[in-house]
Amino acid sequence: MISSLTVVPFVLYLLLIAALPLFVGRFWDSNRNKLAVAAAASLPVVVYLLAAHPAGAELLVGAAREYLAFIALLGALFVISGGIYLRGALAGTPVVNTGFLAVGVLLASVIGTTGASALLIRPLLRANEDRPRSRHLVIFFIFTVSNGAGMLTPLGDPPLFLGFLRGVPFTWTLQLAAPWAVVNCALLVIFALVDRSIARHEAPRPLDQGAEPLRIEGELNLVWLLGVVATVFVLGTYGRSWFAGASSRAAVQIVAMVVFAALSAVTTPRKVHEANRFTWAPILEVAVVFIGIFITMVPALEFLQERGASLGITQPWQFFWASGALSSVLDNAPTYLTFASLATGVANAGGGMLSAADLGGLAAHPVGHGLLAAVSCGSVFMGAITYIGNGPNFMVKAIAEQHHVRMPSFFGYTLWSVTILVPLFGAVALLFF
Amino acid sequence: MDILVCLEGSASSASAVEAAIGLARSLGATLVGLAIVDEPDIVAGQPTGIGGSSFKAERDATLLEDAHAQARGWLDDFTARGRAAGVLLRTLELAGRPAEMILSELQNHDLTMLGRDVNFRFETQERDRYTRDRILRRAGKPIVVVPAHPAQAGATVLVAYDGSAAATRALRSFAASGLARDRRVHVASVDDDGADAFEMARRGCSLLAAAGIEAVPENVVSAESITDALLARAKKLDAGMIVAGGYVPSPLARFMWGSVTHGILEHTVVPVFLHY
Repeated sequence: MISSLTVVPFVLYLLLIAALPLFVGRFWDSNRNKLAVAAAASLPVVVYLLAAHPAGAELLVGAAREYLAFIALLGALFVISGGIYLRGALAGTPVVNTGFLAVGVLLASVIGTTGASALLIRPLLRANEDRPRSRHLVIFFIFTVSNGAGMLTPLGDPPLFLGFLRGVPFTWTLQLAAPWAVVNCALLVIFALVDRSIARHEAPRPLDQGAEPLRIEGELNLVWLLGVVATVFVLGTYGRSWFAGASSRAAVQIVAMVVFAALSAVTTPRKVHEANRFTWAPILEVAVVFIGIFITMVPALEFLQERGASLGITQPWQFFWASGALSSVLDNAPTYLTFASLATGVANAGGGMLSAADLGGLAAHPVGHGLLAAVSCGSVFMGAITYIGNGPNFMVKAIAEQHHVRMPSFFGYTLWSVTILVPLFGAVALLFF
Repeated sequence: MDILVCLEGSASSASAVEAAIGLARSLGATLVGLAIVDEPDIVAGQPTGIGGSSFKAERDATLLEDAHAQARGWLDDFTARGRAAGVLLRTLELAGRPAEMILSELQNHDLTMLGRDVNFRFETQERDRYTRDRILRRAGKPIVVVPAHPAQAGATVLVAYDGSAAATRALRSFAASGLARDRRVHVASVDDDGADAFEMARRGCSLLAAAGIEAVPENVVSAESITDALLARAKKLDAGMIVAGGYVPSPLARFMWGSVTHGILEHTVVPVFLHY
């Protein structure tokens, strides 16, 4: 039986990721320091797995494989979306703004919430740059495009892709279309009302002021994007029959992602990267930080799978709120896997033999299906509750501030999200879980 | 004599520059324009989430660059306006927490001019009452707070005097500042009893007389609040400046005990001389 102490490095590491930028920001700026923190948190876990766990080496190899596949996909989407630039600006009327967010909601499930956020936030800010009050645009953008939208495919949000890497079928997430539609439609309606109310108190602007038709630059990246989507879909759907081993499947996927990312980097005109202020720094940072997450979570997930049923969280609504609450203050990707493992333990309490390493079984299990749906919705939706719940949140905030939008503080933003999102999520819990 | 002028982008700051130029010309003073880049607040640590610190570094660099550019712009504008008016001046750009920077710098000058609605933390905050309140509370030196677009008022100064230590300190500081030169000075006291109010105002006039300044006592009896009564009297006298005493900066303290000085500061249409 695995000791509960093995969970400590994972919890500690997630808390450090949340706290270090706040208290020792300059230290945390350096990727070398991040790597040192990741190594310090991972070392006891590696020693434990190699010295005391019968399948420790195998688990570490699996974690490495999963890590590489995960980073390869995130990297490919990051590079490709960084090679697409929407030039021009629309007139930022409430109708146009709402339509813009709606497009982002649809796009996020294809290019990911990070890609959609990076692609669309600047045109939205340009369309509204002469408005005296525009922070609400950014807040609702984070609620929808950066979070709630990425539910329909595993490409939409990192937690879902982690689930996909662990065997959840590519099309399984389409079953979450109903809560996705409820949350995003409600948010778009609320946004339209808020934006209209604010616009009414602003000085009237000529309709064509600042308007310039949008046009896409770096359009070749749409082809590379299609290649990524097709690769993930085909490997997820047919990969198990084509490749016997998980390693060979992962290798094909990693190579394909690297090739598409390289094609994007080579073919994208420099002016597009400059317009997007594209640098490798964010994805390098993600790659470094996730090393520690993937290693430290190995025993934590095992522990939760083993003891899940005894922790008192057994109902879908509990999984929805618990995974969501943690996703709002920690990153939602590891939180998703944590609660998916817990759900595996709960499903096994009824006599199953499911493994947290293969969440496909959980997705097909009569009890596990509902639990996984709740975990998916909680992790994806509630990443919007704070600036640190999901990767794109802070990115969008930082870009908005560079455009002279004074964003609310951490707690100010959380007040917005608690006021608007929590009642909405309450309705989702009542309706679906 | 030299006058420190705190510069930022608000209309009240522009008015403070105009008022400072006027004072410099009449008193033969040198102006020192101070612009501040609020670096600590711009680069302050924030929870960034995974992947956020590189975006924060980029955001910090952009905001710092913008803050320096704005500071340079205000200093250039100040220099141009001062030179056009023919006054002696120099400029200073500092990086640090605005309240601390100004409190430290103002100790080197005879008088400080501040816009009423200043926002020295413009890159990160919508409003910045904190800096102004902290300066007014901690300065220990005379400060003139100038509202945006002050009324074209006359050469009269109204001194609000209630006999308190704070009012006496402000009155003496005003007398020593030289700002009374070529101005008519009235000392006003508010009381339900007109005779008591007159006696109090007369005592204020005596203090000014000891400094060689002639002043006229004004007793104010009004059903309005003390603040409104003083502002009404200032308007009636066509006052171009009000001298006020204590300042109660904390919102809680203002709620509990009120503050005539704060009320005057918030509602006046002419500069207010303070020495807390």
